[in-house]
Amino acid sequence: MPAPAIRTSRLTKDYGSGRGVFDLELRIGAQEVFGYLGPNGAGKTTTIRLLMGMIRPTSGSAWIYGLDSVRESVAVKRKVGYLPGDVPQFGSMRGDEVVAYLAGMRGGVDARRVRSLAERFDLDLSRRFREYSSGNKQKLAILLAFMHAPELLILDEPTSGLDPLNQQEFYALLGEARDEGATIFLSSHVLSEVQRVSDRVGIIREGRLVQLAQLDELRRIQVHHVEITFGDSDTVPEAAIRDAEGVEDVTVEGQRVACTVHGDFDALLHAIRNAHVVELVSTEPSLEEIFLSHFVKPAPKALPPP
Amino acid sequence: MTIALALRLGRWGLVGFSLAALFSVWLQAAGFYRVAGDTPVERAAFGNSILALAGNFVALLPPPIRPDTVGGYVQFRGFNPLAILFAVWALVSATGFARGDEEGGLVETTLATGISRGRLIGARVAAFAIALTIASGCAAVGLVAAIAPAEESVEVAGLFQACLLLVVVGLACYAIALFVAQLFPARAATAAAGAVLLGLFLLNSLSRVFSQLSFWRWLSPFRYYDLSQPLPPGGYFDGRALAVLVLIALVATVAAAVAFGARDVGAPLYAPPRRPHPVSRETRREPFLRYPLLRGLYDRRFGILAWVAGLAVLAVVFVSLTRTIVQVLLSVPNFLPYLSIFVRTQLYPGVLGFTWFNVAQLLFATLAITYVARWAAEDSDGRLELTLSQPISRSAVVLERMAVLATAALVIAVIAGVTLFVASHQQGIDLDAGRVAAASLMLVPFALVFAGAGSLLASWNPRAAVGLLAAFAFLSYLDTELGNVFKLPEWVQDLSAFKLFGSPLVNGVDWGNVILMLVLAAAGLAGSILAMQRRDVGA
Repeated sequence: MPAPAIRTSRLTKDYGSGRGVFDLELRIGAQEVFGYLGPNGAGKTTTIRLLMGMIRPTSGSAWIYGLDSVRESVAVKRKVGYLPGDVPQFGSMRGDEVVAYLAGMRGGVDARRVRSLAERFDLDLSRRFREYSSGNKQKLAILLAFMHAPELLILDEPTSGLDPLNQQEFYALLGEARDEGATIFLSSHVLSEVQRVSDRVGIIREGRLVQLAQLDELRRIQVHHVEITFGDSDTVPEAAIRDAEGVEDVTVEGQRVACTVHGDFDALLHAIRNAHVVELVSTEPSLEEIFLSHFVKPAPKALPPP
Repeated sequence: MTIALALRLGRWGLVGFSLAALFSVWLQAAGFYRVAGDTPVERAAFGNSILALAGNFVALLPPPIRPDTVGGYVQFRGFNPLAILFAVWALVSATGFARGDEEGGLVETTLATGISRGRLIGARVAAFAIALTIASGCAAVGLVAAIAPAEESVEVAGLFQACLLLVVVGLACYAIALFVAQLFPARAATAAAGAVLLGLFLLNSLSRVFSQLSFWRWLSPFRYYDLSQPLPPGGYFDGRALAVLVLIALVATVAAAVAFGARDVGAPLYAPPRRPHPVSRETRREPFLRYPLLRGLYDRRFGILAWVAGLAVLAVVFVSLTRTIVQVLLSVPNFLPYLSIFVRTQLYPGVLGFTWFNVAQLLFATLAITYVARWAAEDSDGRLELTLSQPISRSAVVLERMAVLATAALVIAVIAGVTLFVASHQQGIDLDAGRVAAASLMLVPFALVFAGAGSLLASWNPRAAVGLLAAFAFLSYLDTELGNVFKLPEWVQDLSAFKLFGSPLVNGVDWGNVILMLVLAAAGLAGSILAMQRRDVGA
């Protein structure tokens, strides 16, 4: 039986004061796209650095294709393409020099693949790194992670700084990598992004894995804040909205209705199907809000004294 | 508020240079009482020996006045070198603000709060003036602390004037560097400002030897510093020269503010229009970038070329100086007995070995520090993390860094050595080719001692590495200079790389010392590999 692409056992990095990652148990199979979701400061980057052998665990272990991430780090990195959370600074080096510098360390990088990636993201490799915009720096980092067609991609918030068009291109590239047999470990703090590309999702909060979920389970915790404005002459279908499945926290002010929608929109759209909708705005709440509504149980109220 | 923020941003420089000022002046003053003797005759003899010694350094420091007194000695060996040190501080601080903070986005963020550009420049200059005042005050404290047990005193007015001169010359250098940094792109700002300050310094100092330069020395702020020597008895203070220094600081500050106001943030004052160039999607095909060591040398190729050119020019200058200095010294009969102390029978090699190789040691220590600064920066800017995400071990990274430095040092040392030999030959100074080669090559293990220590520090704590290595180099230099004066144990004096270097041009190579230097470098390297294996990267 082949070793899983990623496995951790009670992996812990304790920075003190409750910061770090604690007792992480992960098992990610080959050719799986695993989304690693958590708010800022939850421990996503720490987990990734532990997997990459950049930092040493306080206790526990991590294995990449059965190789210990610390003791066999060189062999691990032959299999991995890595995109760090912060794009490294290469000063006045030109893009093509950065590529050649790192490709020289790795060896076996196909120049045609580099060209294809640069064309795909419309990245001019003749420019100096310090002249790149933040989006172009991120594109270069993506190119560096994908240039050797790795078996495993470990990507720390890969779409940050990319415009929507390039985000779409990146999602397409991710899909192609998966189709070619790559395993992908992708961190994000945007639920919809992870939902879009992942087969399975791990949710981390305050350094602890709070949920491992398949994609359909994830839909259950998906939440949107919705504001609907109805036409002046129309009756607001308040009762239908309140009764719709997954719709909560409904407030009505004149022709405007605000509510929270859990899961998909089908029931809400069905409830308003006969009304004239002037405006409908849906916003995704922050992960922290989602966690507060789904994972934090309110403290039990103290019983009154007898 | 802005001044407080500027002081906070420069706090480590303030602490480091204040401590350097305090201890260097204290050590020089305390050392004076150890070696100068107690009787007037002993002190007069000591003063004459210092005058002879100072002849070797006339191209760097103004000749001393009354070095037989603590005031004269400390002016020469304490305060005057501090003026050079403060100029270096001014350069680093000014270009760090003008372009380093700008690249980091700090300047943009500060300007977004509504502060004007002129006020921002003013606040930074004011903050540096405060820092200089504190550091100069520390120098004064060092002197007072050293002379108090000897129940001697220096004139308060003289001490105040000496400190004031340090503050104002430092401020003038800061303002000049700030102005020059506005004119160049970020990557060239430090080098350009450094070249301007070095040029102004050499213009003044070399004018003491080459009379044809004396017409132009009014351009140099260091000239106006030299016009006063207030500490020794019978010293003098030129108020007009101080006023000129203040004027230079003011004019350069205003010019910097105007240039800053006229340019785009992140761009130089004048950026030539960019030539259109074809978009490239291809990776670079440089063979250098494919192989270990070569890729490091390629990455630092411009720096290595600059070091090679700089040292070659300096070697020629020092050969010219040696001839001039020796001729001047030989024309003074009283100096002959003291000259013989230093150089015995090989006069020119002795003086050249003393001047050139002393300066070369300091420069090679600086070379090692600049490489360590780069290693530390690679850690903080994420380059190390990305390097280690390639299939390359941590020990290979450390070894490659050292190999790059060793190769760069070898190239620089060989070219400087060849230049020294050829220039000497052309000046009619016959040097032993083997000894020039050996002495030049010894600069490589010498640099490796500092590189080993720096590598260990960068692997252990990259944020503190440069400061700690600079302190190590400074203490190592003081160990050589003052170890004998303070009767430090032999083994403590032997810890200094400067002591281990010895005088190979005159006495030949001490292979024991070479091996010891290599052992120290290897120990640093081994320690750094161990430290690198154990530490967290990017955290």
